[in-house]
Amino acid sequence: MSNLFPEIANRVPRWIVTVLGLALLWTVGGIWYYFSPSYARAGYQPVQPVSFDHAQHVNQVGLDCRYCHTFVDRSEHSNIPGTNTCMTCHSVIQPESVALAPVRESFRTGDPIPWVKVHKTPDYVYFNHSVHINRGVSCVHCHGQVDDMEEVFHSESLSMAFCLDCHRNPEAFIRPVDQVTNLKWTPPADAGQWAEQASTFVHDWKVLPPESCSGCHR
Amino acid sequence: MPPITLVDMSTEEPIPARGPAYWRSLDELASTGEFQDWLHREFPQGASELNGVNRRQFMKVMAASFSLAGLGMAGCRQPRQHVLPYAKQPENIIPGVPNYYSTSMPLPWGNLPLIAESHQGRPTKLEGNPSYAPAGGATDAHAQASVLDLYDPDRLAQSRSGRRRLGVADVYDLLDRTSGRLRSGKGKGIAVLAEKSASPSRRRLVAELRALAPELIWAEYEPVALEGLADACRRLKIKPLRVAPVFDKAKRILALDSDFLFSEPNAVVHARAFAEGRKVKGADSAKGMNRLYAVESQLSLTGAMADHRLRMSSTDIGGFVAALAARILPRAMPDLAWIDALGAASKGLDAQRSWIEECADDLLEHKGTSLVVCGAHLPPVVHLMVAHINQALGAQGKTLHYLELPDDPEVASIGEVTGAIRKGSVQTLILLGGNPAYDAPADLDWFMAQKLVPEVIRLSTHEDESAEGARWLIARSHYLEAWDDGLTYDGCYVPVQPLIEPLFETVSDLEFIARLSGRVVSDPYKIVRETAALMDASLRDDHGFARFLAEGVSLSSSLKKAEWTTAPEQDEFIRDGLAKVARRPSLGLETLEVRIVPSSHTYDGRYANNGWMMECPDPLTKLTWDNAILISPGLAKELEAKGDAAFFPRPGLLNRLNQTQRAKGLFSAGKEQAWVAELRIGDTSVTGPVHVQPGLATYTVVLSMGFGRRVCGRVGTGVGFDVFPLVNSNEQHVRHGATLKLTGDTYPLANTQEHWAIEGREILREANASEYAENPDYVLGIGMEAHSPAVYGKDKDKSLAYKATATPKGGSMYEHPDFTAPQQWGMTVDLNSCIGCNACVVACQSENNIPIVGKDQVLRGREMHWIRLDRYFSSASNDRSDIPEEVQVSFQGMACTHCEMAPCETVCPVNATVHDEQGLNVMAYNRCVGTRYCANNCPYKVRRFNFFDWHKREIGKFYLGPFGPVDEPELPRMQRNPDVTVRMRGVMEKCTYCVQRIEAAKIRQKSLARDSDAIEVPDGTIQTACQQVCPTRAITFGDITQPDSAVSLLKASDRNYSVLGYLNIRPRTTYLSKLRNPNPKMPDAFAMPYTREDYESRYGHHPGEHETHGTEHAESDANTTVHH
Repeated sequence: MSNLFPEIANRVPRWIVTVLGLALLWTVGGIWYYFSPSYARAGYQPVQPVSFDHAQHVNQVGLDCRYCHTFVDRSEHSNIPGTNTCMTCHSVIQPESVALAPVRESFRTGDPIPWVKVHKTPDYVYFNHSVHINRGVSCVHCHGQVDDMEEVFHSESLSMAFCLDCHRNPEAFIRPVDQVTNLKWTPPADAGQWAEQASTFVHDWKVLPPESCSGCHR
Repeated sequence: MPPITLVDMSTEEPIPARGPAYWRSLDELASTGEFQDWLHREFPQGASELNGVNRRQFMKVMAASFSLAGLGMAGCRQPRQHVLPYAKQPENIIPGVPNYYSTSMPLPWGNLPLIAESHQGRPTKLEGNPSYAPAGGATDAHAQASVLDLYDPDRLAQSRSGRRRLGVADVYDLLDRTSGRLRSGKGKGIAVLAEKSASPSRRRLVAELRALAPELIWAEYEPVALEGLADACRRLKIKPLRVAPVFDKAKRILALDSDFLFSEPNAVVHARAFAEGRKVKGADSAKGMNRLYAVESQLSLTGAMADHRLRMSSTDIGGFVAALAARILPRAMPDLAWIDALGAASKGLDAQRSWIEECADDLLEHKGTSLVVCGAHLPPVVHLMVAHINQALGAQGKTLHYLELPDDPEVASIGEVTGAIRKGSVQTLILLGGNPAYDAPADLDWFMAQKLVPEVIRLSTHEDESAEGARWLIARSHYLEAWDDGLTYDGCYVPVQPLIEPLFETVSDLEFIARLSGRVVSDPYKIVRETAALMDASLRDDHGFARFLAEGVSLSSSLKKAEWTTAPEQDEFIRDGLAKVARRPSLGLETLEVRIVPSSHTYDGRYANNGWMMECPDPLTKLTWDNAILISPGLAKELEAKGDAAFFPRPGLLNRLNQTQRAKGLFSAGKEQAWVAELRIGDTSVTGPVHVQPGLATYTVVLSMGFGRRVCGRVGTGVGFDVFPLVNSNEQHVRHGATLKLTGDTYPLANTQEHWAIEGREILREANASEYAENPDYVLGIGMEAHSPAVYGKDKDKSLAYKATATPKGGSMYEHPDFTAPQQWGMTVDLNSCIGCNACVVACQSENNIPIVGKDQVLRGREMHWIRLDRYFSSASNDRSDIPEEVQVSFQGMACTHCEMAPCETVCPVNATVHDEQGLNVMAYNRCVGTRYCANNCPYKVRRFNFFDWHKREIGKFYLGPFGPVDEPELPRMQRNPDVTVRMRGVMEKCTYCVQRIEAAKIRQKSLARDSDAIEVPDGTIQTACQQVCPTRAITFGDITQPDSAVSLLKASDRNYSVLGYLNIRPRTTYLSKLRNPNPKMPDAFAMPYTREDYESRYGHHPGEHETHGTEHAESDANTTVHH
């Protein structure tokens, strides 16, 4: 009997296996990268109802983080300020501005401004701001250079690996407690000396970030 | 991927998608409203240009910026969520930090001071108020569960009249109209039936109302007996007195049908004081332990705690008291006129003669530190005799006080109201709370009587039996959302402060009564302010009142102390009473005594719709979701002999080997199948499942009220059977002449613990106080640990702190984590203090968002309580083929013991349960895949698995899975603790040592420490939920690395041991063994507790073995513990 299949059919199984293997690798790799927090979250920059410009308010006006985010050193949440905080200035500064109309409307009616949440940990993660702020971890490590952001975007990945990088190595991220909200602070020029100083902080203040599950997953 | 929802910024309306969610070109993007808004915000000048010729050019330039801005791609990344801050931030509200407010729980006999934890304006957890020292911050299971009643989805959201919905304004109109009629007619034709209350504000308002309307019939009714002595005083026409026992000063206590530890009024305070007298620090203080004698017909928690217990029917207790009085009174009060009547009254008790005499002698020997208490339901003559006995024992002023109850105008009874209704003299009936159509004595036929009244106005939280046929049903506020006040049992003034604005359009009690009397000021807050000023002048101004609210209790009692004096005017009454006692009916198989008691689940039916209470096992029967007809083993034997049914195991192979084999009629596939019986008294009967309960008086049948509700809500309707048909207005709590007939049917009872025998195991390790005084180390000589103690090797004599952190954990393949945290947590449970009240079980459920599963799943053993309160019965014979009549009861609460070398950790395939640096065994719920191997490996079986989505799916429909109905109403979710994960289907859970409280305390301490090293949390700051609620302070939690912390001191006690410690898993929760304090002279004295006897007879060292044992051990290596 003559051959039912042409010669080339011999190579088909090899092609199928190769293609399937590559497809599998691409799928896994793709999910690994594209679904990771460093891709999926970092860069998220939603449109806010009021275009609050951090750069202007922090650098130009000179506000400290805690002027608005008042409970960051007392609570697990760093609160978005209530409209009354905005109105402390904007009742007299640019009182007729169109951009600030939602603010005035909120203050008038009592309805909150529907800010879009940028930074969110999953529901099974318990993160407490106050213990970080009070122990020398600056806002900038997790939220990026917010003081230069005209529109807030998600700067770091905030994945579990990101958190553990600091929890396992707090010396690299600690600073004097009074410099926590100074986002432009840099360690003194001599890196070796600073590393030693940071280790001293960690030792003297007994900084013991939890490294086991109960620290964040309860 | 979900499409973007666009919102028009000016109108806040969602914009319908004008095209595909994802734009194919920048042109398309330009047409979306979102882009337009963004553009106008960012480029006010350029926006106008965009719609002109240069649009394409502009777009090309801006393309890169668009994607950088994340515009349009927002939906790819994560769903859009909003943060909604306040528009005007109020003071003192910090999102994430709970606020605490003082309040109190109003109960018929008084108030229990509370502190409520409020998250974002919602009360989520109730605790006791530690400022009220007698209760010391403790509460009971009912108080813990009451927070769920606030969020009951079956609550009345709105008042109604027939089918017409009424708003609050309509209700006010109704009350104004009624008030007008009331005042003009001086109350003629109007009757009010209210539940009892201790609120001074209500008392004031009612006094005003009754003064305005003298012909108003004001009646109060409670189905549960509350104030026995006060009722007796009222019959004698003397000032009503209340007994306030001081248990911590009493060394010898006799409880006569009195469950003062659990179901009598003020049980929390009594339990705490009693436990104070029971706690033993060391061997030298063992002799100072108090001794409790109990004589009762039902097996109650007080009887379970008793050192000597006599089973006696409630009917015969009158005779018992007479015999006791005959022994005690003649010496102290020889001139009493009715002493001669005591002999006749105490006839027929010859068998118990020596028990009574030895008990009386013990009480007399401890004059000034002895005390007799009796149950509120007992007849007045018993209370009077007990008052005399206490006088003779010198108790007054020392171990008990009498408090004068306020002299109120006479309150009518429910019988009198029914009589007035039947006579036709009531046109308007107002029902304030309570539920008379359900719980009124059956002979009154209240249900029919209520129908005779033309106009019934009912104030109630739920649509219930009494609301049926009421013309006006007014929705009532819960105590957590309304202003009121109250008095504790001993008269301290407490507030009832609302934690939240009324959730629905409800009316509060005070407002209702105020408007009914047509008062100008009807705002409850103002009324409470008025009352506070009258109670104590320092509370008049705002500052004083604010301080009062901050403290939560005004510490000076408003009830005067009074003296009990014997008076000849009482003689005739007592003589008549004694004659009645002498004529008491005898009991037998055809003339049973029926004892009707408040149930541990629903009390009198008020908690019937509370899922937590329905599922919390009864402390002694361990039944859930049902009540049963409890009969004694003796009665069961007689019924079996009659040939009705099999209750007891047939003799078989397993029995002969001393294992328990259950009769077929009792258990099928591990589930209790109870015989159904009809209990009949004359014309009335109730039908229910029969449960054999050791410890009952032979011919006493115990019924729990509060079940069989007809109209209740989704949880309680139709659960259990109604016992109120057997309640008679003359014999409300004890009835006679009953017969029990089995119907032949069976009924499954959901029992969380069917097996009650300790089987000689060494997990309890009880001893008599005298043995402990002589041999303080007895605990170490018991059980496997005596031969193979936990392996510490060369470290065995080191401190606990060292052993916890530094001792190596053996060479297993699993790498145990190091305990590097500066504070290591541990817990002790003092079994000598635990009374088995279940407060810890419900507190844990409240704090940790633990779901209920329903009766069907409890039958399968899937109840989710993290704490399992085991109760063991042991008897003198420990014969497994029999259910014993006389038992000793032992309680042991088990929760995850956080073993340092936990067997559950090594077997988790996904490493979801791990150990953290501070010694806790931690559950990472998001990692768990539901293998359940950890639960398999747990030696204590304290892990709970979410077999179904208990929170989300409707109870009873779990097996439909995702096709089943979702039953997750908004309201109960408001109660959930936001600091604790709510677990979903497929996830294992267990006690976490309240890790949320530990972390909160550590975080707070670190935040305070800032750049210093003062991060150590002081001892006592962290209280686990179970520890905080326990009335007897049985649970202690703290840092075991500090040698002087409370928990370290207790762990150093010689009574301390680990359950199953020989497994070498090093549990962090250890137990302090229970001591019993029998009187060696008593006829039922025991040389050692029955559990210990069981152990010694099976596994203990027998004489003769000891010598060889000793030499063997002496030769073995020196590392084992020296024992005996």
